[in-house]
Amino acid sequence: MSTTTAAKPAKPVETRSLGSRALEALLTQRIVLLAVLIVVLLIVMTILDSAGALSGSYNSDYLAASLINAVPLAMLGLAQLLVILSGRGGIDLSVGSMVSVTGIAFGMAYGLWGWNLVTAMLFAVVLGGILGGINGALVAYVGFPPLIATLATFYAYRSVALVWSDQKPVNSAGIQAFYSAAKAIELPVIGASLPLIPLGIFTFLIPVVIVVWILLNKTTFGRRVYAAGTNDTAAVWAGINVRPNRLLVYVLSGVISGLVGIVTVAQFASARPDAGTSGNGMALPAITIAVLGGVAITGGIGRVAGVVLATVLIVWLNAGILLAFPGNDGVQVQLLALGLVLVFASLLNGLTRRKYGGI
Amino acid sequence: MTVLDREPSEAVKPVARRVLPPPVTGQELVLVAVIAVLWVLLGIFTPSFLSPSSIQPLLVSVAPIALIGVGMTFIIITAGIDVSVGGAIALCAVVTAKLLVNYAVPLPVAVAASMALGLVLGLVNGTLIAYGRVHAIIITFGTANIFQFFALRVFGSSTVNNIPATLDVFGRGDVGRTFGVPHSFAITILVVLLAWWYLRHTAGGRHLFAIGGNANAARLAGVKVQPRVLLAYAITGTLVGLGACFLIAAGTSTLDQGVGIGRELAVIAAVVIGGTSILGGRGSVIGTLLGAILVQTVTSGVTQLGWPSQLANLFVGLFIIIAVGTDLLRERARRRKA
Repeated sequence: MSTTTAAKPAKPVETRSLGSRALEALLTQRIVLLAVLIVVLLIVMTILDSAGALSGSYNSDYLAASLINAVPLAMLGLAQLLVILSGRGGIDLSVGSMVSVTGIAFGMAYGLWGWNLVTAMLFAVVLGGILGGINGALVAYVGFPPLIATLATFYAYRSVALVWSDQKPVNSAGIQAFYSAAKAIELPVIGASLPLIPLGIFTFLIPVVIVVWILLNKTTFGRRVYAAGTNDTAAVWAGINVRPNRLLVYVLSGVISGLVGIVTVAQFASARPDAGTSGNGMALPAITIAVLGGVAITGGIGRVAGVVLATVLIVWLNAGILLAFPGNDGVQVQLLALGLVLVFASLLNGLTRRKYGGI
Repeated sequence: MTVLDREPSEAVKPVARRVLPPPVTGQELVLVAVIAVLWVLLGIFTPSFLSPSSIQPLLVSVAPIALIGVGMTFIIITAGIDVSVGGAIALCAVVTAKLLVNYAVPLPVAVAASMALGLVLGLVNGTLIAYGRVHAIIITFGTANIFQFFALRVFGSSTVNNIPATLDVFGRGDVGRTFGVPHSFAITILVVLLAWWYLRHTAGGRHLFAIGGNANAARLAGVKVQPRVLLAYAITGTLVGLGACFLIAAGTSTLDQGVGIGRELAVIAAVVIGGTSILGGRGSVIGTLLGAILVQTVTSGVTQLGWPSQLANLFVGLFIIIAVGTDLLRERARRRKA
């Protein structure tokens, strides 16, 4: 814009009210919406609690303890974030099966073959990377639609886990002792005034969150993932080698699944061959978390913070439901809540796209 | 199987010819060959495989997957997907089973009720997807959970017991066969042929391909995109209702909560093995039927060979990779030639 132009364009005057701007922030900034929803949830549950409508007390100890469920959920949500971001219909249905296989691998190595802890963990993680690499190679180099490639490997890996373990959980004294990795601890220095927090948060979740955040936001790899996810062709013409990039995203999803495999062994105190695939499996909740966290299924849009907040919301919502509907009812209502939240979130995504042009 | 996979030839044609895809595609012939080879091999290694008492249950187990697969093929041709059929099967099956147990309804009422319920569930999905304009996989992940919730509520306890034999006309027993052909399989064949005709010879069917190829171009060409998409989900829902009856009949007199779990993936596997492109715009219902037969052959073959039954899923996974992989390579070769 030339400075010699007589009339400089007037600065757009913000004529809209604070309320309409707040509404726009709420709808377009997924993180704002999630934070508000978490606060609303906590207020509602506290009111219910003080009214005596709950079967247990919804206090900070209970909330902190329920965070153990956030560890696998958030990690796999981040795996889906990476994969979905990479675009071209990116999705990974096989994470649950990879969790089962790597869990069995870890259980075998640590519990039966007598490997030391670090080697066994490394084995599980590397195996996860290889399994993810198969997905990635099929998608990036052969050109499979990700939904199909990971559907096929979902079947194949699940079968491998069941056949390898002879359909029996792997169990030994060593694995049972490993249960301590999932226990709750008191933080040093400031911990006395805080509730006990599950150890897995610090040993697994937070490192993964930090690494994924750095990868996506502070490395060229991350920028390339966003670029290829937004427009694959444009990324190619911008000189990005999209294939190895896309392969790596699926490898990372496998690596994270390997870590989750180890976490589930610690949680169950045994390596179960159906750990990641029983019932609805682990892939569906992870994809739900990613979508709820504002990840666009078409790729290129999504943030780590959104996934983390979405996990906290779902975990605390589920914890509240268990208190409000005791017993088996609670588990069923959790299904309903997850479904409604997902439908609501995706309708909201569509609405904001039309009203404000993208999230 | 695109409508226009050939460029117009150099000579200008005087009259525009009606362009029809070939009645069967290469993928279908390959599948027939693979199934034939598998059946011969299984016949050699397990002498009992080619007997009626082994093939008839195989066809009964193919029926619900292929039947629902017809609807899923419609959906995937429009570039959509429905992962909620597992939950929808569970809900239809449990409601029908409860009707049979508690009210002893006759056969037509049970089937009609199940199909009507399935239609409603399909309309829910279709409305959200066509008019809510959201991505099909996300919405149906959500409705899968919601359907499963309602199914579990209706179940109450973990099983429905003592289901009367009303639906046995679709079942494995002698009542379920005419001239040795299971009724459920015969109905499935009929539906497949109807769907084949609809997709190939009616404007509505061709519109589904157009929508999957490019929804925007289809809309500009005058296709009513949203009603057509809604129709695809409604058909799937209705077929889910009928498929649920087949599943009840094929089982024992007890229905358990896990009736729908994993079925959506089995159906999608049959569809993609059958050569339908997950990207939309290309697909065939005959391929889906063959895909379902292939998957059930593998499952039944692995058991009859005395291998661990869990191994079957490994083969299903490999078949998906091989089927889609060869399709991709063929597509690439075709593009290079053009």
